[in-house]
Amino acid sequence: MRNEAPIFLGLIVGLVVIISNFFRTATLTVVRSELDQWYMIALNFAMLVGFINVSRIHVDKINKKREGWQYSIALFVGVLVFVVVGFAAGSSSAPRFQWLFEATLDPMQSTMFSLLAFYIASAAYRAFRIRTREATVLLVAAAIIMLGSVPIGRMIWSFFPVARSWILSYPNTAGMRGIQVAAVLGGMATALRILLGIERGYLGGI
Amino acid sequence: MSIFEKGMVAPFFLELFYFAAVLLMISRARKGLKVPQIQKVPGLDALEEAIGRATEMGRPVFFSPGIGAVNNSQTMASFATLGHVARQCARYDTAIIVANRTPFVQPITEEIVRQAFVQEGKPEAYVAENIRFLSDDQFAYASGCVGLMLRDRPAANVMIGGFWAESLVMAEVGSQIGAIQIAGTANTAQLPFFVAACDYCLIGDEIYAAGAYLSRDPVLMGNLIAQDWGKMLGTAIVIVGSIIATFTPKANWLVDFLKK
Repeated sequence: MRNEAPIFLGLIVGLVVIISNFFRTATLTVVRSELDQWYMIALNFAMLVGFINVSRIHVDKINKKREGWQYSIALFVGVLVFVVVGFAAGSSSAPRFQWLFEATLDPMQSTMFSLLAFYIASAAYRAFRIRTREATVLLVAAAIIMLGSVPIGRMIWSFFPVARSWILSYPNTAGMRGIQVAAVLGGMATALRILLGIERGYLGGI
Repeated sequence: MSIFEKGMVAPFFLELFYFAAVLLMISRARKGLKVPQIQKVPGLDALEEAIGRATEMGRPVFFSPGIGAVNNSQTMASFATLGHVARQCARYDTAIIVANRTPFVQPITEEIVRQAFVQEGKPEAYVAENIRFLSDDQFAYASGCVGLMLRDRPAANVMIGGFWAESLVMAEVGSQIGAIQIAGTANTAQLPFFVAACDYCLIGDEIYAAGAYLSRDPVLMGNLIAQDWGKMLGTAIVIVGSIIATFTPKANWLVDFLKK
């Protein structure tokens, strides 16, 4: 019963959501909208679960003075500042809250994102080392794409931009679409297996 | 007036056909009828090797279910792999660290790992603190994962689920610490990063096959055959469409039918 009840509920709700994507009836629209709201409410409660998990781990770290415990204090100070300013401002779009976001989180996110440039370079170096026939094809294709994307490539040979465009539009798109079609079918089959209770990985067992 | 949403008639019947094929194969497998073999997936076979390596080195296994929400099918698919990885870790007394980005995923992964340790008869070995919620912000999550990898030095890094721009950050750091890396996603834009930075990569629908492949359950295996039928139908539509577009460029009946 402990396992069957959530599967049964999941089946009913899942079918309603799937059917509401295909059919247009007033009842379905209302039910779907209500379910979406329930999802949002549950999502917000889950946020609390996440915060409890983070707090438990970091309180323990501070208590036991584990390596880097000072950063755990910084985490709680950060949470406190955001909560206090958020409630005082009254809305996430209020200028004070926005300023706090833009002055702290925004630059940190940009810093992490900009690291990608260096990681791309090191990953590309490893991927482009000619060890196999496939790596050679990858290297040649990547060289053409890179040269076709920058002005100096066009100055070297006017064919580079044309070749770049052809590689991206045909072999690349064909490959990507093949993977996407298969992935969508895989996702649909997974959804059906979960709805029917055949795959129960999320309940703690395959 | 049609009761169908605009443009959903053809998708409805195609999906109905696909679901019927899935149910047919499930019913065949349940009756004990022969289900064709499925091809080997090196990335899933390598899970055992990766966990074995972590066990030998006395280092943990790191698992990320991606940054997708719980209603993302890739996240759901990652749970099957997590269950298998957690059971193997429990069997060999190897620590497993799970890093979550979505709060909704946190209690589910906690339960999956806890159940795995219970099933292996070692509930006392389950460490709740190792199932971590890091942040629901994409790059805060990525930096949290990077921190965990650099501090705990996992010997195996399994990343299966929905990944976006953080994929390469995590995979590159995993590569730098010398972890054996198995990654998989259905997000095509991130696949090249995983292919470049990881030892094994599950491409697209392979992540959805993990549950069937790892459990060897005939019912789930039968389901994969239906997936192949769906791919064949999709390929057939593409070929027919290409022929029509080549020889009768003005005939749009197939496109019109699919848009109905």
